[in-house]
Amino acid sequence: MRSSSYSVLPARVLRATVVLALAAGAVSAAPAVSAEATAPAAPAATTATSLAAKPYMGWSSWSMQSSKYPGLNPDGDYSYLTEANVTKQTDALASKLKKFGYEYVNIDAGWWRDNSWKPEYDQYGRQKADPKRFPSGMKAVADRIHSKGLKAGIYLPAGLEKEAYNDGKTPIWNADGCTTADIVYSDLRTTNGWDSSYKLDFSRPCTQKYIDSQAQLIAGWGYDFLKLDGVGPGSGKSGDQYDNVADVAAWNKAIPETGRAIHLELSWSLDIGHAADWKKYSQGWRIDTDVECYCNTLVSWENSVDDRWDDAPGWTDKAGPGGWNDLDSLDVGNGEMDGLTKAERQSYATLWAVAKSPLYTGDDLTKLDSYGLSLLTNKEVIALNQGSTPPARPITPSDAQQVWAAKNADGSYTVALFNLADKPSSVSANWATLGFTGKAAVRDLWNHENLGTYKDKVTQALPAHGSRLFTVTPHGSTLAFTGYEAEATANTLSGNAVVAACSACSDGKKVGNLYVGGKLTINDVVVAKAGTYQVKVAYVSGDARSARVSANGGGAVSHKFPSTGDWGTVGTVSVPVTLKAGSNTIIFDSGDSYAPDIDRIDVPKSS
Amino acid sequence: MNTEPSRMLPRRDLLAIATATGALAALPTFTASAAPQRPDASADDNSAYGASGSLNTLWWQAPADDSSMIEQGLPVGNGRLGALASNDPGHEVLLVTDATIWTGGLNGTLDSDGQFPYGREDFGSLTLLARLTVDIPDHDLGAVSGYRRTLDLDRGVVAASYVRSGVTYRREVFSSSPDDAIVLHFSQSGGGRYTGTVTLEGTHGEAAATSFGAKFANGLKYGAAVTAYGSGGRVTVHGSHIEFSGCKDLTVVVSGGSNYAPDAARGFRDPKLDPQKLARTKVRAAAEHSAATLLRTHVADYRAAFGTFGLSLGRSSDDQRALDTWERIQARHTTGDPDPELEAAYVQFGRYLMVSGSRGSLPMGLQGLWLDGNDPDWMGDYHTDINIQMNYWMADRVGLSSCFDAFTDYCVDQLSSWTDLTHRLFQDSRNRFRNSSGKVAGWTVAFSTNPYGGNGWWWHPAGNAWLSNSLWEHYEFTHSRTHLQKIYPLLKGACEFWEARLITTTLDNGKEVLVADHDWSPEHGPQDGKGNTYAQEVVWTLFGNYAAASAELKRDSAYAGTISGLRRRLYLPEVSPKSGWLEEWMSPDNLGETTHRHLSPLINLFPGDRIRPDGSTPKDIVDGATALLTARGMNSFGWANAWRSLCWARLKDSDKAYQLIVNNLRPSENGTNGTAFNLFDIYEVEQGRGIFQIEANFGTPAAVTEMLLYSRPGHLELLPALPDAWAESGSITGAGARGGFVVDLRWKNGKPTEAKIRSVGGRTTTVAYAGKTRTVTVKPGGSVTLKDFAR
Repeated sequence: MRSSSYSVLPARVLRATVVLALAAGAVSAAPAVSAEATAPAAPAATTATSLAAKPYMGWSSWSMQSSKYPGLNPDGDYSYLTEANVTKQTDALASKLKKFGYEYVNIDAGWWRDNSWKPEYDQYGRQKADPKRFPSGMKAVADRIHSKGLKAGIYLPAGLEKEAYNDGKTPIWNADGCTTADIVYSDLRTTNGWDSSYKLDFSRPCTQKYIDSQAQLIAGWGYDFLKLDGVGPGSGKSGDQYDNVADVAAWNKAIPETGRAIHLELSWSLDIGHAADWKKYSQGWRIDTDVECYCNTLVSWENSVDDRWDDAPGWTDKAGPGGWNDLDSLDVGNGEMDGLTKAERQSYATLWAVAKSPLYTGDDLTKLDSYGLSLLTNKEVIALNQGSTPPARPITPSDAQQVWAAKNADGSYTVALFNLADKPSSVSANWATLGFTGKAAVRDLWNHENLGTYKDKVTQALPAHGSRLFTVTPHGSTLAFTGYEAEATANTLSGNAVVAACSACSDGKKVGNLYVGGKLTINDVVVAKAGTYQVKVAYVSGDARSARVSANGGGAVSHKFPSTGDWGTVGTVSVPVTLKAGSNTIIFDSGDSYAPDIDRIDVPKSS
Repeated sequence: MNTEPSRMLPRRDLLAIATATGALAALPTFTASAAPQRPDASADDNSAYGASGSLNTLWWQAPADDSSMIEQGLPVGNGRLGALASNDPGHEVLLVTDATIWTGGLNGTLDSDGQFPYGREDFGSLTLLARLTVDIPDHDLGAVSGYRRTLDLDRGVVAASYVRSGVTYRREVFSSSPDDAIVLHFSQSGGGRYTGTVTLEGTHGEAAATSFGAKFANGLKYGAAVTAYGSGGRVTVHGSHIEFSGCKDLTVVVSGGSNYAPDAARGFRDPKLDPQKLARTKVRAAAEHSAATLLRTHVADYRAAFGTFGLSLGRSSDDQRALDTWERIQARHTTGDPDPELEAAYVQFGRYLMVSGSRGSLPMGLQGLWLDGNDPDWMGDYHTDINIQMNYWMADRVGLSSCFDAFTDYCVDQLSSWTDLTHRLFQDSRNRFRNSSGKVAGWTVAFSTNPYGGNGWWWHPAGNAWLSNSLWEHYEFTHSRTHLQKIYPLLKGACEFWEARLITTTLDNGKEVLVADHDWSPEHGPQDGKGNTYAQEVVWTLFGNYAAASAELKRDSAYAGTISGLRRRLYLPEVSPKSGWLEEWMSPDNLGETTHRHLSPLINLFPGDRIRPDGSTPKDIVDGATALLTARGMNSFGWANAWRSLCWARLKDSDKAYQLIVNNLRPSENGTNGTAFNLFDIYEVEQGRGIFQIEANFGTPAAVTEMLLYSRPGHLELLPALPDAWAESGSITGAGARGGFVVDLRWKNGKPTEAKIRSVGGRTTTVAYAGKTRTVTVKPGGSVTLKDFAR
């Protein structure tokens, strides 16, 4: 969720407050389900790594819950989430998509809340199925999903929900003497992305027991997946109060105790500075806000599918077996409901595939159109996402036309072309940006077609917001480069530009402070022949920044350098620069804005 | 150009003063025509009709889409019937235009300020005729590879090709004048098939249909029709659409037009003409022939117009040649390196637009024939204070004299209405530009004119003189007596207007002079200036032209004497002692914007030539004009850069003239000033919103030619402003020269090597290069070749 499943609208906040007051004294009459009673049905416990050996695939309820698309939520916002609808989607997933690898059916926010968003808790302060939404209870739903050979996912917000606090009087399950008063801070500080919970105080011995009790509950029901939402730092919040690393660690500790393998997925816009924690304790993390638009369709290109091209690059090296960068739901199955053009849907699926994002759709699986079905079931694209190849990253600047690539173990490359402009454009992948020269064979994955052998580059016409996805197999030779350090004394620094230490940089130094007029001129760049060279630029940039690049006093072209994730990590993209035979200058100019720090450039020995 | 909003104020009725001026009405613009002359297929030189693949083939690697048509659509046109084509493999879109699809009308009731209304209902607007789509669902752009798109300027054909599942598909789009229809031909090699839908729709609310007819509120009837035929599959009409399936090839023919008639006496309508019916007849007639025959017929016709002129500005590098046209535009900017073949192709592209947009119908306004909607900025109209004139500066210089005729015929056909409106409305007491003398005669126009004899926005008293001078220059190029006879009433009426308008004033030195009455120097500064330089200069030229016309036709010699007498008494501008600039107003002060887009006070530096840097003009005047031009700056937009370049060419400053051309070649990104993907010139009206304005596509080529060849009657100068970028070697052939000549000029290392001067009516001229002059005498139809210039 972006802002909140609770408080997307101001009215919702108001209503939640009322609900809290009404619920304060409520005690659930339903007995807690015993974890022990159902544990034998669960598969043998597996390690977290084997759980997320590859990005998970499935379906999530949230896209349709969050949409104003006619007819989806007839009983109020988020009312799509019902047992009947989950069953319907389970059956559709099983019949249409399961054979392609889709397996998770994930129930998102609201399963314990009625249509006015009033929550239900059991006698131990744990979320309890809303009887109107899920009359058969959550275990029956999981059983139904399992009966189709699929896995079941459920959802919880971080912290102790305010409505579950009950003046601190509610006992914690299987924790003698512990009550809700014993697991939060005495000042009842709030936490999570919407401040909808009291922050859990893990210095108190009772607190882990509460997480254990929630884990036992969902494991007992048979769930295989948990989305823990509103987690910080992230979810739009920072600071100690919103630091939920301990919550995540507690879940990581509690899950194995249940004896059930439960995939733990964190949401949303997780702080990249804590990537090591997320990798240690979970199997996936949402890197961004909600992909949904909260509008008359499920998503829209500008709000906020297209943000992912800017936000994913910094995370690329965080992904791998055991934990993946989650770009959110893949809503490409029905053009009308998705609110996207065909080209946008293909680009959406292409980015998700090459970035190794989990592939879970939020579409109405009973209404997939033929193009949507072809996108969701393309075996070559799924194999790319699910296979052992690494995630792709931009190898050109994040300009309107951009190329993402990954080098595969077999020597081939995954290459995605994107045209993010609002009009058609050609996009080229130059082999030099991949580090080789000569010829290469090109396989078109979306169209299942070998396009033949291309010399030096492949160029294709892309529609507005369009893409192509290729496997490129080089038949040429490795390209040789000449390196030039930014900090070399032969260069000219102008404005605020200075040489700075950088442990990740080659030779331990870079040129920084390239802002508002700061300029780096790399002098005496020598090439034998005139031509346009794909110059590799190694740089450091904690956020996406632009620099104006020019050569020999010619016209400058502004290029946006994707974020490298933080100010201690070096990234590389290739920039076309036209050079003359002999000595050249290459200039990186901040113009009237902020440019990345430059570590070095590598100039191909042939253009 | 007008950047002010129009004022919508109450109107009042005015007494009509009936006047009538004889006009030679041309043929109706959309009309039944005789069977085309078709070239003999058996006698074909195959290469003549195949893709030329020459330097005059522009190419791209991306199509347009529905929202990018004005910057990425490729234009076609037969002089009257045009379109922008998207060339998207799966979704071909043609936005079809006819030069006459105008709303509005006479607009003969002034607003309360004595000026004309300027809205889409009253004054009117050029609008689209139809929208044609050819959908081929299996050929989605995301599923094809190797997409390539060309505009073959030598043949006048737009083409696209791509590969889908191993089959190469190709389509060609052209607008044929002989068949008076737009043709789309879809072919393939490799066993492919076409399956899809053809849809023709109106853009004014008409539903999809294989033909439609409708009528504007102004009574103009218009209509269009489509047909399709193919081989190896089925082509059938399904309700409002044409469906095709399994076709090895497919030909789609569309035609349309209106019942506009260029005749004020008939209310600018041909009541007997049914455009829908005529369009159906035309597409049926064309569909009797194979696509190959239609193409051959088109190419033969097009070539006859286009193939009259050649231009080489030098050789580009192999790296430049490897780039597609849009990449080349970008590289020209980023590297700063000249790309002589691109620069020459830009000139030829302008010629392509002229052949496609100005033959046998109305002339080209602000966007020529090419629109992406029904609300073009400034109505896509005729602006009389630079834009329509600039559109036609190029025509004679680049061997397209016949394309000028649309402009001539337009003025001739409008004259009776312009005269009537001037007599009825110009002296309206609310018109701040009215004549102080209380008299009115002849004709004039407003800043905007439409094809219904109507004016829009403010009165533009000197517009009559500028239009007349443009028409006269065409005579200077062509020596066509027919043309002179046609335009003579325009020149005379303009003189009559000024005879009534000029007022006497006494200068500080006691000299009595004639000055123009209260007026505006387009489009800045005070609106009540008397003796503004623009008016003085343009009227001075008009009077001279009229006297020459009178002498040539041996008509009205007494009146010509009167006019010549007035001319001698005209005040001519001085240099400001304060700024050192040629004064724009009768004031030493700068009363307007220093870097204003218009160069109105320099109108006799270009297009006129009273101010010459050859010693015949007082040095202080040349210096003052140079200083004013310098102050106007180098960094404007499209037409303003083109005009500046032409003026610098006249001053023989090749660096500045060339730099302004380069400025217009800057790639337009997100609406910035410069050249779009499809080479249309874009003017940034506000940040992020660029609009197509066609003048620079003609004005810039005019500047290129003016740098290579200067002419005025009796005098030619070779390579007056040849920039270093083009100096190594080059040629211009078929270039018109004032005085009645056509010149083929070659140069090497910055010097002419050969100049062939053909007479189209001229007899004697001096030919100058580098300060040395020789005199040439040649009979009409004959030619002389000059060599040995360098020493």
